[in-house]
Amino acid sequence: MDAGAGRLLPKDRATRRAWLGAFLLILVLVLLPWLIRLDGKPHGDFEQFLGRFHPLVVHLPIGFLVLVPVLEIAARFKPGLREAAGFVLGLAFASCLVALGLGFLLAYGGGSAEPGVTQHMWSGIALTIFALLCVLARPLWFGGEAQYVYPALLSGCMLVLIWAAHEGGSLTHGSNYLTQYMPAGLKRILPGGAPTSGSFYIQHIHPILDANCVTCHGAGQVKGGLRLDSYDALMRGGADGAVIVAGKPESSLLIQRVTYAPDHKGFMPAEGRPPLRAEEIAWIKAWIQQGASQTAATLSGISFREEQEEPPPQPVGDYTALLPEIQQMDLAQGAKLKPVSRKPEDGLVLYTVDVAPQFGDVQLAQLLKFAPYIVEADLGRTTVTNASFDTLARFTHLRALHLEGTGITGDGISKLAPLTQLTYLNLSGTMVSPAAAAQLRSFRNLRHIYLYNTPAQPIAEAPAANAIRKD
Amino acid sequence: MKQHPLCTDPEHGPNVMHLAVPIGLKREWAALETRRQFLGRTGKVLGWAAMASLMGASALRGDTATAGTGASGGGNGEPIGLPNFAPKAKRAIYLFMSGGPPQIDMWDYKPNLAALYDKDVPDSVRGSQQLTGMTAGQARFPIAPSHWQFKRYGVTGTWVSDLLPYTGRMVDDLAIIKSTNTDAINHEPAIMLMNTGNMNAGKPCLGSWLAYGLGSMNDNLPTFMVLQSKLNPKENNQPVSSRLWGSGFLSSEYSGVGLRSSGDPVLYLSDPDGVDREVRRGMLDAVNEINRQTYEELGDPETHSRIAQYEMAYRMQTSVPELADLSKEPQSTWDLYGEDAKEPGTFAYNCLMARRMAERGVRFTQVYKRGWDLHGDVTGVLPTLCAETDRPSYALVTDLKQRGLLDDTLVIWAGEFGRTVYSQGGLSHENYGRDHHPRCFTTWMTGGGVRTGITYGETDEYSYNVVKDPVTVRDLNATILHYLGIDHNKLTYKFQGLDQKLTGPTPASVVQGLIA
Repeated sequence: MDAGAGRLLPKDRATRRAWLGAFLLILVLVLLPWLIRLDGKPHGDFEQFLGRFHPLVVHLPIGFLVLVPVLEIAARFKPGLREAAGFVLGLAFASCLVALGLGFLLAYGGGSAEPGVTQHMWSGIALTIFALLCVLARPLWFGGEAQYVYPALLSGCMLVLIWAAHEGGSLTHGSNYLTQYMPAGLKRILPGGAPTSGSFYIQHIHPILDANCVTCHGAGQVKGGLRLDSYDALMRGGADGAVIVAGKPESSLLIQRVTYAPDHKGFMPAEGRPPLRAEEIAWIKAWIQQGASQTAATLSGISFREEQEEPPPQPVGDYTALLPEIQQMDLAQGAKLKPVSRKPEDGLVLYTVDVAPQFGDVQLAQLLKFAPYIVEADLGRTTVTNASFDTLARFTHLRALHLEGTGITGDGISKLAPLTQLTYLNLSGTMVSPAAAAQLRSFRNLRHIYLYNTPAQPIAEAPAANAIRKD
Repeated sequence: MKQHPLCTDPEHGPNVMHLAVPIGLKREWAALETRRQFLGRTGKVLGWAAMASLMGASALRGDTATAGTGASGGGNGEPIGLPNFAPKAKRAIYLFMSGGPPQIDMWDYKPNLAALYDKDVPDSVRGSQQLTGMTAGQARFPIAPSHWQFKRYGVTGTWVSDLLPYTGRMVDDLAIIKSTNTDAINHEPAIMLMNTGNMNAGKPCLGSWLAYGLGSMNDNLPTFMVLQSKLNPKENNQPVSSRLWGSGFLSSEYSGVGLRSSGDPVLYLSDPDGVDREVRRGMLDAVNEINRQTYEELGDPETHSRIAQYEMAYRMQTSVPELADLSKEPQSTWDLYGEDAKEPGTFAYNCLMARRMAERGVRFTQVYKRGWDLHGDVTGVLPTLCAETDRPSYALVTDLKQRGLLDDTLVIWAGEFGRTVYSQGGLSHENYGRDHHPRCFTTWMTGGGVRTGITYGETDEYSYNVVKDPVTVRDLNATILHYLGIDHNKLTYKFQGLDQKLTGPTPASVVQGLIA
């Protein structure tokens, strides 16, 4: 409006009156939040009833406003559309006013005064003012005066529209709605992306709350006075007090609310949003149980699963050249070496179940030639002994090892430590000692250790689910 | 062209280059037949030939037996090439609840139905569905809310009926599918569909497909075993027949082998008095020789199957008694499965046997429990059925888990359909009946590759129609094959001019939401 301000001054009385009216309207709009304060208290049901039409009606000005530049551009080729553009612009402004009014009723009636709501309100007010200015500037532009003012205002209108719509969307869908499934590469570029490493809270707890809770308990809306978008806010709690009682998941309001019956009034996430997944609840519980620390990197002794942490299987070499030899060995020994799948890089599985009583350390040593290709060895109930650890240490790609029901006591089991691919070790029904079992804790990727019915874990002490999953 | 050094055939055949053929063809020939290509191809062929004998039915037994019947891929001595990808589960146990367990009384919690007691199911819910002859004539379809209370179990807070206190304890380890649905409304076609993927008899069942496709892990026991549970005369027992575990057009050696519930687990398996192991061996060798001659004369592949079965029976003479010998089971086993498990033929005993078979490398075990056909007296009979099955199912999963077997064993619990929300016959506050209901029923799975701790799919408020994430029988079977490393579109067998497969010609899809 700056460049042509002099020429923009209204010429006749009617126009002058229209400008005066517009100026007053803008003043009212700008002062509205001070005339009727959003104080965060609910103000009556009828206001809310009307207000709830805001999310519906709000789409009208969006559509109308976007249509205006489209029509203006199209009018260069089809002049008849020029008139329509003016009409649609008028509609846009009118619907802006209605939507703004309903939005205000919604916030006022429902008692929302969170930063996200007020920002959205200001963006709505700004948009209405811009639309009004467009309405005023268009006749001038149409009459050949102030060539650039109307296009500039209209462009500004579009930008404000994007801002207002984004603020509104963040209120209903959550601020991370757009970024949640963004490709990791893109996320890194954007400022404020979720940190990918750090404490257990950052890695596991925060993402759960961020995805499920912060829509209503975050910067946008602060329902129940509770924010869950930061560690401090989470520990501070809300209007009902603390939601986390460190060390006591059962007494923690947060756990109680997410584990109510879905039809319970207090169930969270509310309003029919999907409930938390079982493992998510289990992680939060485990985290609370162990002190709800902001900085602890890991939790111990609790059976939670981190599927992502399983190391990706390392491909083995191509064994197809060895197949004739493997076949001969199969026939001679009775043990079977079978492909995991049709892809050679998936490796071989060793089965000994049908010759188990005759399969011992000697037979195992005969397989050394194929050792680098074997990813799983089933030696359950064979006669292998502790001496086999020397041989097994050379099965460099071994991921799963079954030794259940063998005479192994565990002496020298640390020789298997170089098997970095090993994730599963079954020692059930062996004589493995507690001392030997303790050595397994230092194995890097070993997360499925079974010690059922061993001196390390006698039956009587075995809980129902006793797979020890290391963290 | 130069002779290949390994070729024993001397160079006296006509050389293409000397023949009177157009020069363009000669050039093409020369381009195609370079030494590298020749060697490369030969190497691959040798490799695949060796691979073929390693995979599928081991060595010479299986696939050559079907030679000539036109098995696609495998049948003609070529590698089947299975598993298609690295599997999560190596074996499976299928607990089949024949008769159709009532999902409303066990899993599919509908508390709002209590207020609708004796109201009619709205026509809009039933739609144009054709009902069975047993209730189609009813003037009314009064809603029968479940007689039992439900509780929440586990960290998942999953609702489970009071009828299943044990299963409730392991609910976090299950993937509960509430949206399973079938095309059949009567027992025989519905069970056939669940077990073989087709309502008509004559198709191979799931276990046979697995035995055919994946082969044996233990040559001393059948790849596929079937355990039937003893009947309880109080229950409404629908028959199950051997075509449910038959191999259809696949070689009969892929059929399920049943263990009897009383007496000898396998009839005539033990040697008669006066016949020792050596005499038996000699007799078998002689019979096999005669069979071999018969095969050479007639070429019927079933003769090979017969030889293989005799050999299997011989090996089973030692392996089955060991399998069925429960004397070494510790007290903790009985504490877990209950005292019922000591009595052969009970569902508890069969669950224990299924665990023992899993330990011994049996690829697929199917346990049948009949009696779920609750047309009437639900409150009288259902508690018995649940008491018979609840604890053993829990015990099996728990036992597999503590022994480290659940990581690569798939466990499936399913019936052939569900039961209606409306009462068949008289409805009172004390009792009601439920008719067959194909549109939704609840199944569960756990073990290798299953995304556990979830409830998949939803039904409407009447537990009548699926409203979210439907799982057809085809999808369920495709998913089961997926856990075992099989692409359901690739495990095929050419028969009657079609590439036959478990999931049939209608498109099926693996349920990704159930994959860990």
